[in-house]
Amino acid sequence: MEPILNVKNITKAFSGVRVLKNVSLTVNRGEIHCLVGENGCGKSTLVKCVSGVYTPDEGEIVLNGQRFTKLTTQQAIQNGVQVIYQDMSLFRHMSVAENIAIEKIRAKGARLINWKDVAGIAAEQTRKINVKIDLEKEIFECPIAIRQLTAICRALAHDAKILVMDEPTTALTKNEVSQLLTIVQELKSQGMSIIFISHKLDEVFSVADVITVIRNGEKIGDYNRAEINEKRLSELMTGREIDYPRYRRDFTENTPLLEVKGLSRKGHFNDISFTLRKGDIVGMIGLLGSGRSEIAMSLFGLNPIDSGEIFVSGEKVSIAAPQDAKRRGIALLPEDRFREGLFTDLKIKENVSSTVIDEISPRGCLDFSEEDRLAEKCIETFKVRAPSRETVVRSLSGGNQQKIVIGKWVETKPNIFIMDSPTVGIDIGSKAEIYEQIHNFAKNGMAFLLISDEVEEILANCNRVLILEKGRIKTILEAQDLRQPDAKKLILEEIGSRDLQPDTEPSTK
Amino acid sequence: MKFTIDRYQKILIFIIAAYCAFVGFVNPAFFSITTVFDIIRTSSTSLIFAIGLLVVMISGGIDVSFMAIALFGSYTTINIMIAYGIDNLAFAVGLSIIFGAVLGLINASLINWLKLPPFIITLGTQNLFHGIMTTFVSDKSFGAGVLPPCLNQFGRATLFQIQTGSGTIGLSASILPVVFVALATWGLINFTMIGRGIVAVGNDEESARRIGFSPARIRYYVYVWSGILAGLTGIVYVAQINALYPNKLIGGELPIVAAVVIGGAKITGGDGKVFGAILGVLLIYLLNSTLILIGLSSSWNDLFIGSVLVASIATSSYQERIRNRKNLIFTD
Repeated sequence: MEPILNVKNITKAFSGVRVLKNVSLTVNRGEIHCLVGENGCGKSTLVKCVSGVYTPDEGEIVLNGQRFTKLTTQQAIQNGVQVIYQDMSLFRHMSVAENIAIEKIRAKGARLINWKDVAGIAAEQTRKINVKIDLEKEIFECPIAIRQLTAICRALAHDAKILVMDEPTTALTKNEVSQLLTIVQELKSQGMSIIFISHKLDEVFSVADVITVIRNGEKIGDYNRAEINEKRLSELMTGREIDYPRYRRDFTENTPLLEVKGLSRKGHFNDISFTLRKGDIVGMIGLLGSGRSEIAMSLFGLNPIDSGEIFVSGEKVSIAAPQDAKRRGIALLPEDRFREGLFTDLKIKENVSSTVIDEISPRGCLDFSEEDRLAEKCIETFKVRAPSRETVVRSLSGGNQQKIVIGKWVETKPNIFIMDSPTVGIDIGSKAEIYEQIHNFAKNGMAFLLISDEVEEILANCNRVLILEKGRIKTILEAQDLRQPDAKKLILEEIGSRDLQPDTEPSTK
Repeated sequence: MKFTIDRYQKILIFIIAAYCAFVGFVNPAFFSITTVFDIIRTSSTSLIFAIGLLVVMISGGIDVSFMAIALFGSYTTINIMIAYGIDNLAFAVGLSIIFGAVLGLINASLINWLKLPPFIITLGTQNLFHGIMTTFVSDKSFGAGVLPPCLNQFGRATLFQIQTGSGTIGLSASILPVVFVALATWGLINFTMIGRGIVAVGNDEESARRIGFSPARIRYYVYVWSGILAGLTGIVYVAQINALYPNKLIGGELPIVAAVVIGGAKITGGDGKVFGAILGVLLIYLLNSTLILIGLSSSWNDLFIGSVLVASIATSSYQERIRNRKNLIFTD
């Protein structure tokens, strides 16, 4: 195989801090090359060097045999480098077709738009990846998966030879992920090279030809998929052996903290009943549309229920607003922490104190030293890696942001903590730290409802699992079921996503 | 892109039709060609303003200085014409447009340079432009007698006339600039790369930059276009009222903003249709001019416009919420 991209000994520093140290990378034609590493390890910087956004301080990039020491974005695009960033850079109020075609038409220097061309270009790209999309729909009407496909088609319209995908699966459901992985394979078979960045190791193993591990700005090595396994890979990524400790509940007291009876909301979920006891970590897993997030929202007063009863510590309650939930000792970690869980432009200390602002404001004036103390405590407990408590939350990595969300809710001393996908987009090291804290709090009597997409996460944390399907509880697995060696397979089968087991190829449509 | 009438516009058309039917039921005198011609004539200036503002709003900006620009352009131009005894409509329109373009350029430059919200900048320039005009040009009023006759000729000109029971009534020539501006703007937005750039910048500035549009340059186009339309409207306005005052127009910005929003333009940018803006203006003018016919005093006017505005925003926000819920985002 001939290399299409050769990154040679690149070093890049920002204000004196070296984020890439002498990194080399070779990508061959028609190869799926996975780039893995923890958040902040430098993989995004590496990608931005390849796409010409950053100019490396040392080293060179060879694209299609041409050497560049100062690659510009324009040169990168001319040489077929296309990056799909996480935000996808789509235009909400433009049609799918226009989103796909406009960059290409603009690059030709056209002054007028010929809508037939737009439709033609868009249709051509969708044929390449063998999908059917309604090209006339505007982006804001389309679900994330369609937006992702639109972004891919746009890259293809630009004659992409190297397609870089930065965490493309974060917001996708399991079926959508497998469709995406199928497309990635299809593109590969057409001779395209793909650089695939992901946190989810099962995805990495299902598509990668070569896996490159980066840690702390240094390349640890290139590995063929066959010569490495998930456990070894996570060790390489984190530099330590990560084996998530399993949680065991050892309380004898079984009075429920939260009891839910026959909870229903039309179109969302139906007849949901379960209990949370002291020290319980109950998992909730199911495909998108199974109603899991909706249930969490309802328990937090964000999604009014049609019928059903909720008991907190034996007392029947009505939770009509988040304030009710908070007063009853319920905390929620929302799925979209950035939008719903944090004040991203405020400082760490302001975020941490936000949930208890009334308590630490005697006579209506905020006690600043108390605020500082809470922030320091949160930073210490959760091992938040930040320059200081004054740091603006936006600038933290995903894992550290999530620790702040958890930290600020822990301050309210909740009895019941609902966590919706707590580790999405978070690196393995931070994940382990978050799990550790969840276990600690549970051991001290807090009850958790943990919604997750990842079976591994469920197995590491939960002592009971509710498997949901189409708004109903389909199966309940107890602690002894979860300790069986084939628990993972069992859960995957129950959810109905057999196609995602790491050792099988994604199914084709 | 074909000309399509989207769902929101259909609702507006339905409301307009239903309201017309109601007014006609209460007062059959409403159903006459006179009413139609009358609404067209009185709404023509607002229509052009609205279309100019629409372009700004699609680009994600806002402009509250367009009335000041219109006044500055027309007042200064006509002062020059009076002083030099020029009587030429093309000269009036041309010069006023040039003034409009320059003032629009100033708006865009300030926004690009200071990187401040367009609302604040144009609020400032609104006063600035008007102040410059009254301080350095003149602050006198001019009656019909001294104005160049070509203006009044245009103001009274009709395209054709129809014989009705109460005399002849003609379609005002003011509709010509409206039709021209509407078609030109529709073409600009939908069929030129600049137009798509305006939409792109309004949707997401960073993404627009990534695919090669320059948001700063796009803003020049947008505010200059808005300024040009304002300059044109200024002349049409003076021609219609056949007098020149140094303090008219100013203060009438917000009803135009309301009309454009009622017409479906997103205040956050990236979306908006020329036809929608036209419907928005027509709806407001319809309410304006028919209250008397159904026996209500004009003080009901604000109440109606306010209700329509709130209702239209509520509709689009409700639709958004339904869509969000489909994508599992709960905001209520």
